[in-house]
Amino acid sequence: MKDPMFERSLRVPKLRRFAAPVAGVGAMLALSSCAEDAPQDTWQPAGENAQLIQDLQWWVFLIAGIVGVLVFAAVLYCVIRFKDRGQPIPEQSHGNALIEYTFIAIPAALLAVIGGFTINGIFELNRTDDTQCEINVTGQQWWWEYDYPVAADGSICGYMPSAAAAPIVTSGQMVIPTNTRVLIRGTSRDVIHSFWVPRLNGKRDMVPGRVHTWRFHAFEPGIYAGQCAEFCGLSHANMRMEIVALDPPDFQTWLDNQLAPYTSPEEGTLAAAGEEAFIANCSRCHQIDGLTTPEGDPVISAPDQWVYAGAAPNLTNLMTRNTFAGASWDLLTEDCREAVWEASPEDFGAAYLKGVTPECLNQIDLREWLRDPPGKKPMYADPDKLEETEGKFRGMPDLGLSEDQIDQLVAYLLERK
Amino acid sequence: MFTTGSKLLIGSAFAAAVFAVVYGVTQEGSLGTIGLISAAVGLALLATINVLVRDSNVSAMDPEGFEASAAARNSARASLWPLLTALGATTVTLGLITNRTFFILGMAAITAGGLGWLVQAWSERASADRRFNQRARNTLIDPIELPIAGAIGAGILIYSFSRIMLGLPSKTATIVAFGVMGAIVLFVGAIVGLKRGASRTAMTGTYGLAAVALIAGGAYAGLNGERETHPHHTPGDIAEENECGPEETEADDLASQSVASKANIAAELTFDGSSLTYDLPGYDGQSAGLTVPRSTPTNIMFHNDGDDDARLVIEMHPRVDDDGNPTGPELICTALGEPGSTQFLTLLFAMPSSAVEGGYAFTVPGTDASLPVVVP
Repeated sequence: MKDPMFERSLRVPKLRRFAAPVAGVGAMLALSSCAEDAPQDTWQPAGENAQLIQDLQWWVFLIAGIVGVLVFAAVLYCVIRFKDRGQPIPEQSHGNALIEYTFIAIPAALLAVIGGFTINGIFELNRTDDTQCEINVTGQQWWWEYDYPVAADGSICGYMPSAAAAPIVTSGQMVIPTNTRVLIRGTSRDVIHSFWVPRLNGKRDMVPGRVHTWRFHAFEPGIYAGQCAEFCGLSHANMRMEIVALDPPDFQTWLDNQLAPYTSPEEGTLAAAGEEAFIANCSRCHQIDGLTTPEGDPVISAPDQWVYAGAAPNLTNLMTRNTFAGASWDLLTEDCREAVWEASPEDFGAAYLKGVTPECLNQIDLREWLRDPPGKKPMYADPDKLEETEGKFRGMPDLGLSEDQIDQLVAYLLERK
Repeated sequence: MFTTGSKLLIGSAFAAAVFAVVYGVTQEGSLGTIGLISAAVGLALLATINVLVRDSNVSAMDPEGFEASAAARNSARASLWPLLTALGATTVTLGLITNRTFFILGMAAITAGGLGWLVQAWSERASADRRFNQRARNTLIDPIELPIAGAIGAGILIYSFSRIMLGLPSKTATIVAFGVMGAIVLFVGAIVGLKRGASRTAMTGTYGLAAVALIAGGAYAGLNGERETHPHHTPGDIAEENECGPEETEADDLASQSVASKANIAAELTFDGSSLTYDLPGYDGQSAGLTVPRSTPTNIMFHNDGDDDARLVIEMHPRVDDDGNPTGPELICTALGEPGSTQFLTLLFAMPSSAVEGGYAFTVPGTDASLPVVVP
């Protein structure tokens, strides 16, 4: 006797039951690929290296797509055509050498071709003999530092500064000239990080004690966003980076501006009070080149005594960059940021080089940061939990600044450009 | 009527309570006081139970029946456990006034002796059958006694052997002694193997004599002390003593002239006899200046392509503490490298070049070679 429950369980569900959910998910997936505001889209290459990867992955996806469609079509055909309708099992065949060799030869040939181009691409991406600019990149929890070495002839990144050259140290945004093959020599001060700016190149790990080289190149001026791609602790998600590409004349301007001598705030101003507050509270870790004590002694930071990584961002020209705290927050208000990000390639340089003006300063996030950094960005900055690091902070601690001090510091930092 | 066991427990509980008070007042240590009070409470509890059940002691309930039992008729056998326990007690006393090691050894002896004594006493009264009692005792104690005794015996022999080896006057003598001992073991082993009918007495005697000789030799060598070993200086010691000069030191004489790890270095420095040049590995383009990030461990390879020995030196300019003492090495240098050799340095700059008068520079002592390094 037939069991009705068992019979029901064998019944194939009607396809139309799944049609709506499948169509909905498919539409969502298809529409998600249409996102315009996707600054980390690997399918929008903006430089030679990313283009090389794109040229390779396009063919790989095309071939894989065709193979996938053929395989699924064959499976679907077999499922429908040979559906069990109670017919007798057809004659079985085994050991057809022609079919087997064909099905081995075709994938092998496809993989060999893809493998050949891939290996060639890997070697091409690792070339260092034709790079024109060199920048040292150092990762630490949870921000990136960039320093621009001075060549023997006094040039930096292939450009001769108008003033005496000195190494430029910056963070968050790495500025490069367009259409220049830039080599980064990267390492890490604490744990493994990974440098990834998808529109300009693939990712490259940065391992403590090792030096890794990687190339960057940008066709057009613009900002190219990236993200640390190796889990590196509590605030890994907030360890971002941006590469800013400037036309050669704009890069020269940026370079000269970075090397401009330090200017003290005018006496009696809020910024002057901010300078004192900076020396008293911030200079233990943060360096501002050219800053001196009232006695005239240079103020040299000592982050190695306070921070586990041994470094803190150099703030000499903070307001020439658009981000802070590991490029996690904008120094620009939303409108001003939009004006820079959406500027045409021709206008981008001028928009970026304006830096952060008083009316464009994102006071809300900056003040929140100064008020309570660990509250803004998760960090190991609780003094009660610092036994593992011998009392040294991971990230920026809460300095307990008063609102007056924050006002003063904001005024002072606003002049750092 | 209190049984003997109850009296013992009551006395112990009282003593623990008194010791807890004395310890708490004199030592002001909460942990010891808690331990002693816990012991007093535990002992008092056991004493109470003991009193209530009259120690499960047949003799207490029925002295005549107990004395007439078969188990009671067997006299106790000779035992070495009391001797070991007494030895342990003496050693503990000795350890309290001399060395903690004696105290620990004494405690171990007391524990072992007490346990052995306890089990033997129990087994001898288990039944009227001596053989059964012996088997009961062995079943209980052999899994503990034999491995521990074996480990102690092996440990004594190994320790004695090591004392002999370390007491020999030279490395050559050690090699000879080791060879001779090995030959003797091989010879005796061969004899034993060939002569299958060797008596147990002869075998035991032979091994016993060997063990006694080994222990006696070890004791003699141990009392004489180890031979003098001369510690070798390393390049780190040279730097610590600020001796990074052109002269050869003992550490240089023993230093390796090649480097195993050749990957992941920040820069390769080459000395050609008069000047220093550098190369940045993995970078074939136009090289920029030698710049090293601050607070980052940086590996440097040094090749001596000159005709004479040379070492690479750098002054680190460490921070100074409140008393003016440097908080890190002032100089770091490689060992003196022979012509064609390679050396290795790992550096960590705490301060930027701008904070150091004259900046940082690699030099080769005895020459004018100098190479600036920038720490941003």
